[in-house]
Amino acid sequence: MTETVEVRDEDILVASHLKKYYRIRRGFNPFDRSKPKFVRAVEDVSITVPKGKTVAILGESGCGKTTLARAITLLSPPTSGHIFFNGRVIFDGEGGKFRNVNYKELYRDLQMVFQDPDSSLDPRLKVKDIIAEPCKGLLDIEKEAIDAIVMESLKAVGLSQEHAYRLPTHLSGGQKQRVAIARAIAPQPRLVILDEPTSALDASVQAQILNLLLSLQTNYNLTYILITHNISVAEYLSDFLVVMYAGSVVEQGPTASVIANPRHPYTKTLIASAPIPNPLKRTLLTTEIIGEVPSVINPPSGCKFNPRCSYAEQICREKIPELREISPGQFAACHLAEKIP
Amino acid sequence: MQKEDENLILEEEFDRSVSPTSSPSQSKENELLRISNLSIVYESKHANLLALDNIDLEIGQNRLIAVVGESGCGKSTLALSIIGLLAMPPAKIMNGKIEYKSINLTALKEKDRRKFRGTEIAMIFQEPLTSLNPVYKVGDQIAEAIAVREERKNDRSMDLESEVMQRTYKVNAPDMPSRLPRFKPGGLTKLLRDEVLQVLKQVRIADAEQVIDRYPFELSGGMRQRVMIAMALAQKPALLIADEPTTALDVTTQAQVLRLMKELIDEVNTSILLITHDLAVASQVADRVIVMYAGDIVEDSDVYDLFREPLHPYSKGLLSCIPVGSKDKAKLKPIPGSVPDLSKPFVGCKYASRCPFAMEICSKRSPRLVEARPNHRVACFLYSGESR
Repeated sequence: MTETVEVRDEDILVASHLKKYYRIRRGFNPFDRSKPKFVRAVEDVSITVPKGKTVAILGESGCGKTTLARAITLLSPPTSGHIFFNGRVIFDGEGGKFRNVNYKELYRDLQMVFQDPDSSLDPRLKVKDIIAEPCKGLLDIEKEAIDAIVMESLKAVGLSQEHAYRLPTHLSGGQKQRVAIARAIAPQPRLVILDEPTSALDASVQAQILNLLLSLQTNYNLTYILITHNISVAEYLSDFLVVMYAGSVVEQGPTASVIANPRHPYTKTLIASAPIPNPLKRTLLTTEIIGEVPSVINPPSGCKFNPRCSYAEQICREKIPELREISPGQFAACHLAEKIP
Repeated sequence: MQKEDENLILEEEFDRSVSPTSSPSQSKENELLRISNLSIVYESKHANLLALDNIDLEIGQNRLIAVVGESGCGKSTLALSIIGLLAMPPAKIMNGKIEYKSINLTALKEKDRRKFRGTEIAMIFQEPLTSLNPVYKVGDQIAEAIAVREERKNDRSMDLESEVMQRTYKVNAPDMPSRLPRFKPGGLTKLLRDEVLQVLKQVRIADAEQVIDRYPFELSGGMRQRVMIAMALAQKPALLIADEPTTALDVTTQAQVLRLMKELIDEVNTSILLITHDLAVASQVADRVIVMYAGDIVEDSDVYDLFREPLHPYSKGLLSCIPVGSKDKAKLKPIPGSVPDLSKPFVGCKYASRCPFAMEICSKRSPRLVEARPNHRVACFLYSGESR
């Protein structure tokens, strides 16, 4: 290890300076001598996840939040950086040293719930087989014990025994997402990554799933990383909030203080444009929003938000801002964080 | 040529059927659309699904009305039935009528109905990429909409392949097999190009000069939805139906598009029927909100009144499902149970099995929409005075 990273006892996961670049393939032109281009999907992101807490990663589509989740789980390993999980180094950036990771051990403790249950559940397996599958691979136990675990997980997510023999097509959207959650908690993991767990669901079903996630967290002592674009869901579930924009973290800190007092102009815009169910506070219609999310292939120089920022000054166009502690525990990557009201 | 003659005869018939003999005195002055007793069933071999159950609704001019409900509540069926894009069969209108400016649309033949589609009632859909033609430039697609509008204004044949397309696109196209005209790139006349630019600017596209020559895949999601809105508005419709127009968009883009729609109402003199699943979005932009549940309108109210005090237990439940603040402050109270099976005959209020206030009468008769407060109708026995 070339750098020292502070890992506290209460942290279950620390990811430091993670980068994930995707190389863009060149065309067939044999005379093309241009430099290879990269999609900088995740650019130098560090996050810390304390045990038993929920960290929400908030951002719009294309900001790199799902790429970050896939990098952390080693489903698509990062380009560089370090990941510590459960007291061990699971990824050490230089030279792909993650290869000696015991994946069986890793995924026993680290599970993921995907966004769309329609594509994450095998349509030809019965519910009980879907839930049993990760257990078969990860836990060295008897078949009977697996059956018991399956039934317990089903019960934990509020499904009954009769659902065990159904196919996913015979379940409603909410029930399917419950099955996906049951599958994730079956091996009794310590950290569950929830990738947009409710964005495919109706409001009333979303409320049921959110409450289910909360009760599972207390019953099984789970830690969550919540990937979402929905501020109200992030605010409801999480203890810590990480706001991402075009591959970088722009603000992070305790959820309550970030939402009450956002320091980065992008966080302010994001909060103002989230619809709230109150016609007397029409923030959606009164906030001025300029432009669109920039390209992550050719990001703007300096601060990536500067072309859309109404406060931008010369320094914003020249220097990339670093994440600085603005108030205790709350970090923002903005040169002018103190000056902006 | 014979085809043309047929068209003329049909148009005469159409004019007669259109002449406002039906009930002009009944309609209010600024009323645009009135739906009465509309029931729509989806028929299949195995079951008949009642998607809309005796819907009553009216829409005034220059208003933004939101229809809110969860998936399967019939809100999209309602939208499609108004514009006449419902596939029939399997859908079938059991009873009721849709009157647009006192013309009963449900009684019209498809050929006559087309004259309303686009120029009178326009629609934009959830996913703009599937609504835009991938092989035509944005400008040409908007120009087509303008051409249709001009064509109808001149009260000529409706065929897009006819001479107007030759005129506008400067190409000779006799007996063209395809629906869309074939034209050379940049074949727009100056006049048409100027109007396309003007429409693009109207939907706040800054670099309209460039966008006009782009293909849909070159634009971002928000831009595409703006182009869809531009296409719809180019036809100067009196009613614009927007079916989940911002569901595929990010929050900041959603805010931009919703704000644009709100501003356009007075700018271009149109009404918008916004179909959405998001009560919060409705509260932010709508003048009036209609809450639907399992094919029924359960509540229809002025937006301020609804959010100050929702009356129907379902609206109350739906509001308490929206997370506001942190889990430590207030836990969400989800609605128990699930939507009843609409393919089975149903007696009583469809929400009764999930309703915390359900009474004896609720399982026996279905409640009618009554005016519980000024500008606030609700379908619930708690307010109908029939309960006790």
